[in-house]
Amino acid sequence: MAAQVNNDIAEIEEPKIPGNYSARKQNRWIPATIQLSSNEDLTSSQELLVAPRSPVLNNRVSTASSHHHEDVDEIHKRISKFHVSPAQLYSTDSGKLYHAGSICIVLVGQPARGKTNLSISLCRYLRWLGVRANLFHMGDYRREKTNGLPHEFFDPKPESEEAAKARQELTNMVINDMVTFFQNDMGQIAIYDAVNGISSQRLALAKTLNDKQIKAVFIESLIDDEELLERNIADAAKSPDYLNWEENEAIADYKKRIEMVNRAYEEMNEDELTYIKFINFGERLFINNSKHDFLTTKVISYLMNSKIKSGSIYFARCSNNKLKFKSDPPIDDKGKKYATDLSATLLNHFESMGQSSFPKNMVVWTSARLRTTQLADVFKKHGLRVRHRPEMTQMNPGDAEGLSDDELQAKYPVDYANHNLDPYHHRYPRADSYHDIALKLEPLIMEMERMRNDILIIADETILRVFYGYLMASSCTDIPFISFPQEEIIKITYNAYMNKAFRIPIKDSDKS
Amino acid sequence: MPVYGVSHVDNLRVCVVMVGLPARGKSFISQKIVRYLSWLSIATRSFSVSSYRREEYKLQPTADFFDPANIDGLHIREQATDDALKNIIKWMNEENGCVAILDGSNVTKQKRQLVCQVLKNHKIEPIFLESFCDDETMVNSMMLDINATSPDYTGKSSKYATEDLLTKINYYKKYYEPMDLADEKDLSFIKLINVNSQIIINKIESYLESRIAYYIMNLHIKPRYIWLSRHGESQYNLEGKIGGDADLSERGMKYARKLKDLVAQYIPNHENIEVWTSTLRRTNQTAQFLPNPKKQWKALDELDAGSCDGLTYDEIEREFPEDFKARDENKFEYRYRGGESYRDVIVRLEPIIMELENQENVLVITHQAVLRCIYAYFMNVPQEESPWMSIPLHTMIRLEPRAYQTIVTRIKADIPAVSTYKEKGTSKLGESSNGGNVMAGEVISSSSSGSAGTASGHAVV
Repeated sequence: MAAQVNNDIAEIEEPKIPGNYSARKQNRWIPATIQLSSNEDLTSSQELLVAPRSPVLNNRVSTASSHHHEDVDEIHKRISKFHVSPAQLYSTDSGKLYHAGSICIVLVGQPARGKTNLSISLCRYLRWLGVRANLFHMGDYRREKTNGLPHEFFDPKPESEEAAKARQELTNMVINDMVTFFQNDMGQIAIYDAVNGISSQRLALAKTLNDKQIKAVFIESLIDDEELLERNIADAAKSPDYLNWEENEAIADYKKRIEMVNRAYEEMNEDELTYIKFINFGERLFINNSKHDFLTTKVISYLMNSKIKSGSIYFARCSNNKLKFKSDPPIDDKGKKYATDLSATLLNHFESMGQSSFPKNMVVWTSARLRTTQLADVFKKHGLRVRHRPEMTQMNPGDAEGLSDDELQAKYPVDYANHNLDPYHHRYPRADSYHDIALKLEPLIMEMERMRNDILIIADETILRVFYGYLMASSCTDIPFISFPQEEIIKITYNAYMNKAFRIPIKDSDKS
Repeated sequence: MPVYGVSHVDNLRVCVVMVGLPARGKSFISQKIVRYLSWLSIATRSFSVSSYRREEYKLQPTADFFDPANIDGLHIREQATDDALKNIIKWMNEENGCVAILDGSNVTKQKRQLVCQVLKNHKIEPIFLESFCDDETMVNSMMLDINATSPDYTGKSSKYATEDLLTKINYYKKYYEPMDLADEKDLSFIKLINVNSQIIINKIESYLESRIAYYIMNLHIKPRYIWLSRHGESQYNLEGKIGGDADLSERGMKYARKLKDLVAQYIPNHENIEVWTSTLRRTNQTAQFLPNPKKQWKALDELDAGSCDGLTYDEIEREFPEDFKARDENKFEYRYRGGESYRDVIVRLEPIIMELENQENVLVITHQAVLRCIYAYFMNVPQEESPWMSIPLHTMIRLEPRAYQTIVTRIKADIPAVSTYKEKGTSKLGESSNGGNVMAGEVISSSSSGSAGTASGHAVV
């Protein structure tokens, strides 16, 4: 009976629009020829595509493989045509997300308004969402071209013809590179980080982009809080421009630069442009002409939540990782011991930074499973707030649960092959993929962005990989293999130019 | 169980204070926020100042009442705001309310300062939400909606209502002070100018407030429909089993074919709609004959029954008698061993709802429990009821979100299918005749082309 019915079932049709695939489909954007034709010249990332690997045995490859750049924030890596992002929802005909077309996010603002930080963190979020975004910092172009820093260069309306020409040349270079990114590299969002302080130049830029069917969205960073500005100037004087400078001299020089810009700077109020004023790092937003496009709304929502962080993110694994997905036993003695060691190590870490206890505002996030909630009880005793988030339940292995590599290959030959090709997006029957987890965690990532203080995340390795992948801008080829040994706490600190990860070994509290 | 779904702040209590002239969509926005947050299990209630005025003083006043020169009117309206505030505080203290909405006009700075002070004294965070609109066409369309629905104009002619409302708006304009950054930059506020063409967001303090702001930005008021369907009858449905990843039955396959016709017949501009399915075989098979672009969402997968997956209700009752009972007692919160609860499903559906609000034309093909949750959002069904709603197989549902309610139309495909509905306290399937399965708040109307009696499906009346 069942077999008859099956005959009636047509194979599920391939989507009519090529590329509009679900997460289940792999090789999005990777033309088949690329994988097959490059046998002679195997690069390390292609090796990854063909190396047989079991989902259950991921750990074994994590350290050996050459592609693995452990604990490096990859946000400044230019993404290639074949880049696939962690939370990539789907792609349209053009390889773009959200049917939103090409967008150029143009930063506007005087120096020391946090434009570069803002552009980096926005790029991190957008890439993670699956938008093909690249950063274009005017500063990088300038440093490449000039060695010294003639202040005149920073004058938006330079007096000498030579300086004006040099400026224009650099601007044209950036614009050309952005257009190339859109036209040849399937880029969707270019983030253009420069002062862009003159109204007529902004209008001209919008027109140039518009003529190429690229929508310009301006984000102007403004600070009207003096104290905040001073702090930011001190930070900015540590930028690559001032690599070997005395701090005071650097600050003085930087202030000169700001003065130069201020003379001609014109705040945005062009009615016809779509712009967002981002004031005092998100204390206030003013949005003009939002036109309701989903991607712009996402950007605004991100800007609303993006806060300057003072804390760090800590990752710890749960006490027992060998449990079946469906079982949920209370933690055993070994787990209790692990809880004690974990909290002692962490406390010790805070003490080494000169604090007498856990930071008062620290929050602990766990899944809703006993293996993490009971583990967190020890932190409750220290007075920390503990939040259970069902979204953080470990990856469901589905029908692949408990099967060895060989068994998987025998039982699901097609799935097995597909899984090896794309371990990030592939899911075994009834299982979650990493991609599924990334989508589920998106609201939590947003909440994490809003929190200024320390967060300890206790979860299964599969969940930690996704959080880590966001914070360190890892690519999806790497995420399934990031390793979190049971006996380590991972600490990630937010830094202006790139995030940094540290590993803290968990000490056995009985032995110390 | 305490809910920290959208906030990391303990005991956060927020009051959204609406600001703006009449006919600026304030009540619409209030209703939407209540719907969204309640659906996320955050205790939310709207307190309409005008309803206090109507209830307490039995007034259905004419425009003169709002003349600033009318001292009595002024006094009564102030009293009504006081009453609303008192009730908000009482509700928060006695019933653990989390988000209150003060739905009034609050048009003067003085009034806003006062409201702010009262709320802060009671440890409630005020966030002002101003709808500012000087676009005549927008105002006119909102006025028509009010004339038709406002209790102030029940039984009055439309012409009378329009004139009266205009006079009332003009009185308000005399003392309206829009929110500005010169005097009110210390207040948390969101200001929407001409719906969403300009937005000011000032001093949003908590994640919860930022979710509210994000939600409001995604709302649009263009008329539209949302189309829903369950997958066709599956092999598991035939066998009375839950969960699984079964193929469609023969009749289910018939529905999949019929769905193509239903879509063509009933959905205007059907070539432009996008079809969303879950990742499971039965929804993909149901969508397979539709020529439209498709999107698979893991978030639309059926509630995971964990250890009970693949069992019949009889088997569950036998093998897990305590679980079976516990689930019947609190179906919303009950989490299957190793599986999910309805609450868990709602958490994972939140991004879908956000995108549905932003989209215009979507057909969602998904599963019983997931549809109950989506349906509960649009129909404002309380969580004690939503897991018990009946959503039959082989029926396409049309939702039409309006300012004050969502209108539902069901289009039956006329293909028999088993019932997968289980009543409380039994393991037997099927709806009983006593109407316990009627969906709350539902208006079932027939679609005109359907009731014309064409052979290809008819609407239920």
